[in-house]
Amino acid sequence: MTVHIDENLVQDDAGAVNCRHCDAALGVAQQPLRDARVRESDPRTAGPSVRADSGHFADRPVVLRQTFCPGCLTLLQSEIVPGDEPSGRTRSVVAR
Amino acid sequence: MAYVIGIDIGGTFTDAFVADEGGRVAGVKTPSTPPDFARGFLTVLDELSAELGVATGALLADTHYIVHGTTSTLNALVTGDVATVGFLTTRGHGDSIAIMNLEGRYAGLGSDQVQDMVRTDKPRPLVPPQLIREIDERIDHKGSVVVELDEQGTRTAVRELVAAGAEAIAVSLLWSFRNPAHEQRVGEIVAEEVPGLYVALSSDVSPRIREYARSATTIMNTQVGPRLRDYLRPLEVELRRRGFSGSLLVMQGSGGCVDSADAPSRAITTIGSVLTGGVVGCTRLADELGHRNVISTDMGGTTFLAGLVVDGEAVSTTSTVLNQYQVNVPMVDVHTIGAGGGAIAWVDAGGNLHVGPRSAGARPGPACYGEGGTEPTVTDVDLLLGIVNPDNFLGGRKQLSVELAAEAVRAKIAEPLGLTVDEACAAIYAIQNAQTADLVRKVVVTSGQDPRDFVLYAFGGAGPMHCASYAADLEIGEVVVPLGPTAAVFSAYGLAASDIVLTAELSSPTNFPPDPAEFNGAFQQLRSELDGRLAAQQLRFADVEYRSEADLRYTMQLAEVATPVPVGDLDEAGLAGVGAAFSDRYEQLYGKGSGFAEAGLQLITYRTRAVGVLPIRPRLTPVGPADGDARPVTSRRVFLDARRGWQDADIYDYRHLAEGHEIKGPAVVEAPTTTVALPEGCVGRVDRLGNLVIRYTQA
Amino acid sequence: MPVIPVAGSEKFANLPTTPEETRRIVGDSVRLHDVDRSVVDALDPLTYEVVRHRLTSITEEMGEALKRMSGSVVVTDCNDFDAAIMDEVGDVVQVGLYNTELAASLDMAANWTLRNRCARPGIAPGDMFLCNDPWVGGGLHQNDTSLFAPLFVDGELFCWTGAVAHQVDLGGVSPGSWSVGATDVFWESLPTPPVKIVEGGEIRQDIEDVWLRRSRVPKLVALDLRAKIGANNVAHERLRALCDKYGADVVKAVMRRTMDDAEQRLRAKLREIPDGSWSSVAHQDSARSGDRGIYRIVLTLTKTDDRLVFDFTGTDPQVDGLINCTFAGLRGGIMPVLLTMVCGDIPWACGGIYRCIEIISEPGTINNCTFPAGIGKASVASGWATTNVATECLAGMLDTHPEHRKRLMSVCCGTWDFALLAGVDQRGGGFVTMLCDSMAGGLGARSDSDGVDTGGLACIPMGRVADVEMNEFAFPMLYLWRREEPDSGGPGRFRGGVGASSCFIPYDSPLGGVHLVVSAPGKALPLAGGLSGGLPAGTQHDVLVRNTDVHARFAAGRIPASLDELAGTTDLVPTHHETDLGAADVYYTHWQGGGGYGDPLRRDPAAVAADVAAHKVSPAGAGDVYGVVVDDRGAVDEDATTTRRAALRRSRAGLGAEEVPA
Repeated sequence: MTVHIDENLVQDDAGAVNCRHCDAALGVAQQPLRDARVRESDPRTAGPSVRADSGHFADRPVVLRQTFCPGCLTLLQSEIVPGDEPSGRTRSVVAR
Repeated sequence: MAYVIGIDIGGTFTDAFVADEGGRVAGVKTPSTPPDFARGFLTVLDELSAELGVATGALLADTHYIVHGTTSTLNALVTGDVATVGFLTTRGHGDSIAIMNLEGRYAGLGSDQVQDMVRTDKPRPLVPPQLIREIDERIDHKGSVVVELDEQGTRTAVRELVAAGAEAIAVSLLWSFRNPAHEQRVGEIVAEEVPGLYVALSSDVSPRIREYARSATTIMNTQVGPRLRDYLRPLEVELRRRGFSGSLLVMQGSGGCVDSADAPSRAITTIGSVLTGGVVGCTRLADELGHRNVISTDMGGTTFLAGLVVDGEAVSTTSTVLNQYQVNVPMVDVHTIGAGGGAIAWVDAGGNLHVGPRSAGARPGPACYGEGGTEPTVTDVDLLLGIVNPDNFLGGRKQLSVELAAEAVRAKIAEPLGLTVDEACAAIYAIQNAQTADLVRKVVVTSGQDPRDFVLYAFGGAGPMHCASYAADLEIGEVVVPLGPTAAVFSAYGLAASDIVLTAELSSPTNFPPDPAEFNGAFQQLRSELDGRLAAQQLRFADVEYRSEADLRYTMQLAEVATPVPVGDLDEAGLAGVGAAFSDRYEQLYGKGSGFAEAGLQLITYRTRAVGVLPIRPRLTPVGPADGDARPVTSRRVFLDARRGWQDADIYDYRHLAEGHEIKGPAVVEAPTTTVALPEGCVGRVDRLGNLVIRYTQA
Repeated sequence: MPVIPVAGSEKFANLPTTPEETRRIVGDSVRLHDVDRSVVDALDPLTYEVVRHRLTSITEEMGEALKRMSGSVVVTDCNDFDAAIMDEVGDVVQVGLYNTELAASLDMAANWTLRNRCARPGIAPGDMFLCNDPWVGGGLHQNDTSLFAPLFVDGELFCWTGAVAHQVDLGGVSPGSWSVGATDVFWESLPTPPVKIVEGGEIRQDIEDVWLRRSRVPKLVALDLRAKIGANNVAHERLRALCDKYGADVVKAVMRRTMDDAEQRLRAKLREIPDGSWSSVAHQDSARSGDRGIYRIVLTLTKTDDRLVFDFTGTDPQVDGLINCTFAGLRGGIMPVLLTMVCGDIPWACGGIYRCIEIISEPGTINNCTFPAGIGKASVASGWATTNVATECLAGMLDTHPEHRKRLMSVCCGTWDFALLAGVDQRGGGFVTMLCDSMAGGLGARSDSDGVDTGGLACIPMGRVADVEMNEFAFPMLYLWRREEPDSGGPGRFRGGVGASSCFIPYDSPLGGVHLVVSAPGKALPLAGGLSGGLPAGTQHDVLVRNTDVHARFAAGRIPASLDELAGTTDLVPTHHETDLGAADVYYTHWQGGGGYGDPLRRDPAAVAADVAAHKVSPAGAGDVYGVVVDDRGAVDEDATTTRRAALRRSRAGLGAEEVPA
């Protein structure tokens, strides 16, 4: 059965995950964003909502980490996190 | 002959009631005429004249006053058909009406809706950002000026607002209730800049602490004020043209009325005037019948309204919620709880049976109306249980379908639950009555009262079908179903029998007791304000009564309790008495031992109500004594009590009943406006005014 | 000094247990009422609905009573409290619509009391137990004080009722009991395990004195104790009447069935959703004043058939500071969003809902800490971060179902912006108060609509803020503004609700100034994450401007509308801070909004223009994040927007104008 994992991701019976906007292949059920494009940048590029530099408050580096569809460049995941730890955000829908 | 008239314009019907000094009364009912409600007003006057057998001009010429209850201000606010308002407030605080103390996301919603938090939202903004201007000025909590008013900036702001389309201006500045100087000066500036523009000041409309509700109240007042003015002025001109020389009075939510010339500047007080008519009617009828404590229940097709009369007076609140906004308006405390006869019975995903809160409304209405409704409602169940006669519903004005009702109950309730249709109906009837009892109990208990000390009045089309059951659950000993000449136009009767009521209040937070001079001075100020306003009503009063109260609280608390204050100047002992009265009332509300006097007391708001008693009070005429026993017109099988199941019940025609007739349950009385169910263990007796009074002989 | 284990504290390391085990331990010391399964099965729909409705109504009445009688703004004007009805072993049958985080572990406290107090001092009619020990339950940090009361019917312990509320101060190093310098619990308010403070219907004066002695505002705490007694009394009176009318067995059967019903409906809903697992992480910056660390809670939520497993493996160890929470805090962190997002249309009978979930967590981690770790701000630190991580995982799960996704929200207001004022008020009395303005946080965006601006917090369906005038009347302060903050809502196709800010000066205190305690994380990085590509909400931002010319500006007829207008020394306030505010010092605190949902470049440009007009988004935010260009009249410049969005789409992905995506 086809599952819409979220607004951007669709998973088919076989567990292949594609972009809902441009159909680009993104990954598989266990790693839906395996082939997506990841970019890290300064948190303040997230916009005016980040009011001050993280360096005022913490020693660890903080990054804006964003994941994009390689086809249409739709933003698939955004997080502002310590840059020295891997992303803890994953999802995996059981294919059926 | 001198007349008084009450005219109650609701969304569907316009009701009128007239009484003369000699005790003659009449009532008529005609369809309302939205959006031009004035047309229905004039039509119903013609019908009233016809009923009395006099010419409209002659009736109007001899009418001392007309009391008008109108749903127009409330409707305008609900539908958003209001004047475009510009809002002026203190710099830094323009967002207060958008933040809404955040409670605006859920205020006024039922607990089912609040629980479904993800789907809650704030209402549309009262004023869009482009119509809000902040001005430099600041007053502190003591009323001292911290920043002077920027008059030039104010002028610019007013011009900008008018240029942006404002048809009226609302002004609400921080702490203006302590020191209204800045607001008053802003009012003058508006008048200088745009003469004749409608402007309302929060220190006039609602001089009470807590800026969010004060601002919201002032804005809503400004939204409806110009519309009410534009409605009343031509109406009054037309009445004069037709020979009316008396006063046109407008009912307020407080249960008292105000002169139509005074009403537009305090338009917000007229919201809810239609809701309160019924409670005022109850108050007057209770006066006639000698009942001091009454629970008023009005169960119509779509709503169930509950109000309280305690010690002869309608219980009021000092604020209400409208469109999720907090509004400071002294109102008779009418609770809209659950739904009326249109409440839908349904089965949830877990296989549990519920009744309401969703209602089939007027369209498509209950399944038995045959207008497309397929969901079973309380009215369908009343029909299937034999309480309602399909051929004599509302005096035979509507034919009902038993088949459609049965099909709805079968398909939606009985089959899913594995019950027979009869069993399903019995369960729905009992759940509806029990829920109603829960809600009414909550209304009574949260006002610090015990339901057992009350007589319950039941009116509206559906109320009398259920009242004997929910009243029994509340352990109430006596139920009155008003069935005399007022029955069909009960609210209009309430209007005709009302008084002028004006309220003035003043927040001035202080530790209690304050210096007696300060305390007495505050009430003197309120008294002189009220005297001025009473004189402006241009009416002759039979009497004027003043009632004062002070909102007190324990020092660290924020919930205040309105505490009665004796008339006249008080000395220190008098003030101590007020403090003691607060403690008593507090314990009555929250339980013995809950008070905490060690914390000390604070006084937040002074309030005085002036009641100008009008000279003509409609008297109801006796129906005449019975000649022999009441005789049933027929009998049928009914189901009125789960413990007793189906029973044969005598059916009575109300029109054949007279004072002194007694009817033992199980029985049903069919009246032109409603049907009264009397379960076994009840006895109904017709009183001298034609009301059916139900008492319980056994539990 | 490092935190070392305390022998003897194991007794209080409470974990939920089964009704059978509880009965075994209680034995004959207290007769626990029970009802046969057959009575539950035989309940007719009518009685069930009538009694269930009444139980809901009683919970509401308890809340109303508590709110009206309490003396603290936190309760009366901000609704930081809750009430619940529990069965004889403590399982929650019905919880009120206030701070559900507080009520989520009342069951643990009542159950512990049964297991540890039934022999000595005994549990008898008219008794009430007070508890503020988060290792036992009944609250998340020591300020959450619960009072729960057994109701006896015919000599048997029939059920429990409980009320819990935040107390403004219960001692500890810093006012408000938020000791921002704390390295362990001994800096903080003393945790009090369940103690019989009401015996046979009377307050025990000796116990009350012990209780109040620790507080800086004992009168206020005494008043709140009475408020909770009143709330329990109201409930008992009503429950007794209910038992008289329907019989205790029937009422108990309805309680059982209510929990069963909640369980079955939750299971049915879970079965409709695809199986899978969702992982997320929630961060917190700074564990105490002076600390510059960043700590994380990791959650993997696995949904299999009709069960949920919350696995916190990978979460950081407990830290020397005040941000840890106990297991009760972890549970309290999960329950609010489980209720609002998954059980919005299911009865809030936590006793049944807990049966559908399993929790895996290592003792000694920041959201399952062992004694004597510091927990002074557990409720809004690790408890709250647990809510954030649970929100993301549950929302991800709901997003896979076409209907249930309508009830997901991105993370709401990333944390509590704690600002506490203490000193002498304008009437000359001592005061301590938590400024509750930040109750008006932004709610997370939904999958089909924006989050509610200044709409509240995830854990309190009915939160509230006090009017500016009420705060200025009650406390020595004067506001320059309280306003919504543009751009603070997480950008997305659906925008997170905006947060807001308050800016004030000390005013009219005989001391001239006031004492200030600040504890507000989310400054180094935002804490309210977005979903489906949506961005996090903004950061927490607190600024203190010392020795300003604010009074000269007042005298000149002006109210400063931004910090830029003020002369003075401007300091960014760290996450944890304690200081004094002088008469000319201006304090500005800006709390967080909710996370966004979906790619902001997919947001309807007209909605962005409307946001600009309503000051929800700044023109810069509209251009830089949404790629929407608004003209002078406030309308969308279509051509410029198309160009801007095309360029932004590539540049934000790190691609030059011509580069082909890899």
